[in-house]
Amino acid sequence: MTGFRKACTLAAAALLSLTLLAGTALAEKVNLTFYFPVSVGGPITKIVEGMTEQFMKEHPDIQVTPVYAGIYRETLTKALTALRGGEPPHVAVLLSTDMYTLIDEDAVVAYDDILKPEEMGFTKAYFPGFMRNSQTGGKTWGIPFQRSTIVMYWNKEAFKAAGLDPEKGPANWNELVEMGKKLTMRDASGKVTQWGVAIPTTGYAYWMFQALAIQNGVELMNAEGTRTYFDAPKAIEALQFLVDLAYRHEVSPKGTIDWATTPRDFFERKTAIMWTTTGNLTNVRTNAPFPFGVGMLPASARPGSPTGGGNFYIFKKATPAERKAAVTFVQWMTSAERAAQWGIDTGYVAVRPDAWETPAMKDYVAKFPVAAVARDQLAHAVPELSTHDNQRVTKALDDAIQAAVTGSKKPADALKDAQKEAERILRRYGK
Amino acid sequence: MSQTNIYDSRGLARVLDTAAAWTLAVLWALPLLYAVWTAFHPSEFSTRFTLAAPLTLDNFRAAWDAAPFARYLVNTVLLVTLVLSGQLVLCTLAAYAFAKYDFPGKGILFALVLMQLMIMPDVLVVENYRTMSAIGVLDSTLAIGLPYMASAFGIFLLRQTFKSIPKELDEAAAVEGASTLQILWKVYVPLGKPVYLAYALVSVSYHWNNFLWPLIVTNTTNSRPLTVGLQVFSSTEQGVDWSIITAATLMTSGPLLIGFLLFQRQFVQSFMRAGIK
Repeated sequence: MTGFRKACTLAAAALLSLTLLAGTALAEKVNLTFYFPVSVGGPITKIVEGMTEQFMKEHPDIQVTPVYAGIYRETLTKALTALRGGEPPHVAVLLSTDMYTLIDEDAVVAYDDILKPEEMGFTKAYFPGFMRNSQTGGKTWGIPFQRSTIVMYWNKEAFKAAGLDPEKGPANWNELVEMGKKLTMRDASGKVTQWGVAIPTTGYAYWMFQALAIQNGVELMNAEGTRTYFDAPKAIEALQFLVDLAYRHEVSPKGTIDWATTPRDFFERKTAIMWTTTGNLTNVRTNAPFPFGVGMLPASARPGSPTGGGNFYIFKKATPAERKAAVTFVQWMTSAERAAQWGIDTGYVAVRPDAWETPAMKDYVAKFPVAAVARDQLAHAVPELSTHDNQRVTKALDDAIQAAVTGSKKPADALKDAQKEAERILRRYGK
Repeated sequence: MSQTNIYDSRGLARVLDTAAAWTLAVLWALPLLYAVWTAFHPSEFSTRFTLAAPLTLDNFRAAWDAAPFARYLVNTVLLVTLVLSGQLVLCTLAAYAFAKYDFPGKGILFALVLMQLMIMPDVLVVENYRTMSAIGVLDSTLAIGLPYMASAFGIFLLRQTFKSIPKELDEAAAVEGASTLQILWKVYVPLGKPVYLAYALVSVSYHWNNFLWPLIVTNTTNSRPLTVGLQVFSSTEQGVDWSIITAATLMTSGPLLIGFLLFQRQFVQSFMRAGIK
C-alpha cells in the first residue's frame, strides 16, 4: 500500500514538473497548429513537413505543427468541427472559394485586422488574379498558396497522325470542334477508339463549365458572392456548346466524363485533348508516354479560365501573439523562393510574379517551357465560382451540368432550375 | 449417405442455386481481383489486361513510402483491440442487466439505448469532439475509440442472446452457490460465444475501416489509423493513380483479409449458430 502511495506521489510530482516546464516553454514559444489538405499526388505531406521544419529553424520562437487533414472538403470539415469543439487550428489551407463560408461561420480573421495598414503592402506581391477571390468587403481574408487554373493538354502524336500541326492547340471553339472531328478515330465497326476532346463533368463540373461561360463572355456571380447568373443567355449557350461537343459534333464521349480518370484516358490515348487543372502538370509530365502540348483554353468571345485552389486562412480564436506568428508563417511559406519551389514540386502556379524571376524557377521554365502557360493565362483569369453557402450553390450548378450532359434536361431548363435553387439559398445574404 | 438433407435442392433448382452462388461470388471478388491485378503491374496496364504484362512491386514501394504505414498499422490494431475489449465488457454487463433484472425505468432506458441505433454516428461528430476535447484526450487512440464503446448494437444483440438462455441453467448455478458475476461468466458468456464472435467480426471490420471520425479527432502519426494514411492517395484534384491506390488498399486491408480467411470456418459457423437460434 505504501509502495503504491509512493508511486502515486512520484507520478504526481513528475506530472507537475512536466506541466511547469511546458508552461515556461509556452511563455517563450508560440505554438501554431497548421491544417493542410493534399489534393495532388506525390509525397506532399513530406514536402510540407520539410518546409515547416525549415521555417522553425529560421524562427526558433515559433513552433508549427503541420496536420494533414485529408482532401479539401475534409480539411474544411475538420477545421469547422475543431472550431465548434473550441480548438480550431491557428492557420489552415482551405479553398479560396470557402472564403464566404468561413466569414459567415465567424471562423477566420482578416489580415487587415492583424497587421497595421502600412504592413498590408505585402498583398500586392501576389498575382492580382489570385487576390480577387482572396479579398472581399475591402479586406484580405486569404493569401494564395496552392493555386491553379484550367489548361488544355494535347497529345502531339495524335495531332501528327491526324495531319494537324502538333505545336498548335485549338485557339477558339470552332477550331476545337474542327480539330476534334479530325482527332476522333473510329475502328472498322464504327466504335470510337480515340475521342477528340474530354472536358470532365464530375468532381469539378462547375469549374469546367465556368471556363466555358467566361470564354463566352459572362461571369457566373457578383463580387459580393450574393448573386449568381447561371441562366444568363451566354451561360446557357456555353452549356449548349458543352452538350453539342458530345451529341452534335460527336467529338467527345456522351454522358458524364469522370474527373479522376480523365488524365489516365489521356495517357492511354483514349482522348487526344483534355482540359484539366495545371495541378496535373507534374503528373502528365511523368506519366504521358508521348510528347504533349500545353496551351491556354480556346476562346469564344474572349480567352479565359477561372482560378482555383487553396489559400492560407488565419483563425479568429488565436491570440494576438499567435495571429502575428501565423502571419509570419504565411508570409514565409508564400515568399518568392518558397512559392517557386512549391510550384516546381507540385505543378501549382507559383503565386507571385517575383517567384518566376528566381533562378530555380527560371531554370525550370527553360527546361520545361509549358510550365509558364498557366502563369500567362492568369492575365485572362476570373475568380472561381464562390458565393455564400458555397457548397450548396455549387452543388445546384453541378447537378444542372450533369443533367444536361446526360441528356435528362435541356441546358436552358437545367440552368434555370439551378439559378432558382441558388436564388433560394442566397436570399438571406441578399442585403 | 443414407440421410438426405432437406435443405439440399435437386435437379434444376440445384443448378440454379449453384449458378447464382457463383455469380454472386464472382461479382463480390471482382474488385479484389482487379486490385490484385493493378497493384502488381505497372500503371500502363491498369486497364489493359494482357498476360504479357510485366510484374512489379514498385507500386507497393511507392505506397509504403508515401505514409508511415507501419505505425498506422500498429495504431489500427491497438484501436480495434481497445474498442472491442471496451465493447465486450460494457455490452455484456449492460445486456445482462437488461436481460435478467427488473428495475424501475428499465423500459425507458432500453428505449434510449435502442435510439442510439437510429442515429448516424456522423451527426454526432461535433458533439463527440467537444466531449473528447473536454476530457482532454484529443489526438489519441482512446479518443477514436471512446464514443463507440457503449455500443447499442452490442447491447441489443447480447440481450436477445441472454434472454434466450433457459432460466433453469441460471437457477442451477445459483443453487450450486455461484455469485451473480460467476453465473454471468460461467453460464451466459460461454453460451453466447457464437454471438460474441459474430459481433467481434462486425465491430473489428467497422473500426478498421472507419475514416471520418479518426481523421477529425487525431492530428499526428502517433494515433492515426490506416484509413487516414490511405486517403493521401485519393488526391482528387489530380485524378487517381489506380496502381498505387490498389497497392495501398491491399496493404492496409491485407491483415484483415488474411485473418478472415484463416478463421473463415469459425466465423461462418458462428454466424449460422447465432442466426438459427
